[in-house]
Amino acid sequence: MSDYWRLLDTGTQPAAHNMALERVILAARSRGLIPNTLHFLEFTPSVLVGYHQSVSLEVDEGYCLRHGIEINRRVSGGGAIYVDQGVLGWELVACKDTPGIPGRLEEMYRLLCEGAVAGLARLGVAARFRPKNDIEVGGRKISGTGGAEAGNALIYHGTVLNDFDVETMIRCLRLPIAKLDDKQVQSFKERVVSLREVLGSLPAMPVIKQAMVEGFASVLGIRLEAGALTEQEKKLLEQELPLFQSDDWTRGTRRLQNSSLSTVDYKTTGGLIRVTLRLDRTRHRIRYAFITGDFFAYPERSILDLEAALKNTSCEPGDLLQTVRGFFAAHQVRIPGITPDDFFYALQTAIYPTGRGREQSLKTAESSAGR
Amino acid sequence: MQVDKRFVPEDLRYDRNDYWVKATAGEAVIGLTAYGQDVTGDILYLELPPAGSSFRRGEDSGSIESGKWVGRLLPPVTGMVLERNSALETDPSGVNQDPYGAGWLLRVRLADPSELDGLLNPAAYREWIAGQIRREREEEAAL
Repeated sequence: MSDYWRLLDTGTQPAAHNMALERVILAARSRGLIPNTLHFLEFTPSVLVGYHQSVSLEVDEGYCLRHGIEINRRVSGGGAIYVDQGVLGWELVACKDTPGIPGRLEEMYRLLCEGAVAGLARLGVAARFRPKNDIEVGGRKISGTGGAEAGNALIYHGTVLNDFDVETMIRCLRLPIAKLDDKQVQSFKERVVSLREVLGSLPAMPVIKQAMVEGFASVLGIRLEAGALTEQEKKLLEQELPLFQSDDWTRGTRRLQNSSLSTVDYKTTGGLIRVTLRLDRTRHRIRYAFITGDFFAYPERSILDLEAALKNTSCEPGDLLQTVRGFFAAHQVRIPGITPDDFFYALQTAIYPTGRGREQSLKTAESSAGR
Repeated sequence: MQVDKRFVPEDLRYDRNDYWVKATAGEAVIGLTAYGQDVTGDILYLELPPAGSSFRRGEDSGSIESGKWVGRLLPPVTGMVLERNSALETDPSGVNQDPYGAGWLLRVRLADPSELDGLLNPAAYREWIAGQIRREREEEAAL
């Protein structure tokens, strides 16, 4: 991958402009009008839902309206995010057959995230790729990523949390927190981390961008040269903007969804496990899991990793048991007085609050897992 | 349930975007192959074109989301949708679990049955998959 890539920086733009631009650059790359591109973008306060998500299910629209927070829709998949001046967006737009970019999605995620990880390392941040597509520091998320394709091109993008406003994020998004009490908010804050928090102070934006450029260049083996939007891209942007500024794009519910929030407290000899789940009962999926309690987990990050492992997994009892047992088998985790099956049972009770006993639940799940 | 990604039924035709076609008298059923669903991963959302809509071979006709990735549905033939598998739009797991059966995507009227001649037979598609898997292994080794 010794090719020249364009380095594009479009600065701070409204949400509709940023989202339209993603589609424009992707289309331009697919048509061969532009070279592969690393694009930096910055945001006014905005909530960006995933391509197939429903705004009404994911966003507190009233709060956003009162606080002048824009709502828009990404071309990529995944969950809703809150972005503002404290977030740097990066995206790679490339031809699908670019030598060195893996065709299999999981390997592609890993390679492209390693570029961002290498960039963060240049700033002195020991970040790590966490499958399927997060970048974390000590278990706490510093960058979420996602992607899409169009024709012969792909876009893979992510954010770097420079100086993140967690309180606003919690209020904008319908997160798996039943009550916004201080303890829950604090627990949620512990799931994400910003550059400022890791480094103690925030490097200037040009320094962060330069580090990211060097990270991607070294991992992908590419040479980046600063460029601007072409006239064709500007024309395409003019054509696309009205759609991205419309309710049809932003508020159209793209898919039938069934989202519910469920919380359960489960007492064990090692302490209380509190599980809050966002469930898609139509698709039998755990959308997000939020696990807290008064137990002690070693290493501390284990619970955050467990939450990541549960994201978008099947909530059928047999599958859930395999996910939970598989996680603990693959990780060195010590939680005095609590077994992996206790976590399974707490999760299972949040999904199916039927009052069935622990042993009976395990037996049923084991028999369906073995099928 | 684990599906064998190399499974290629004898009675179907294939394309290099990993779709299968089962044609009978001017109509066809299309779906994603076992290898195609394996490469895509666990499918979370699927958007299929409605009955009555026309589409062209290889052109964007819907979306498939897996692991934060939105892929495009690229039909292997040109035609008009007679029926979409609407059960998949509420629960797309059928594509992963039974790609050649309950996970079918569209039943279509073919606009140009001669397009079928350009599709791969099972032997050629097996060879295509083998090449892709070799490439994946090389990529994995390079990472």
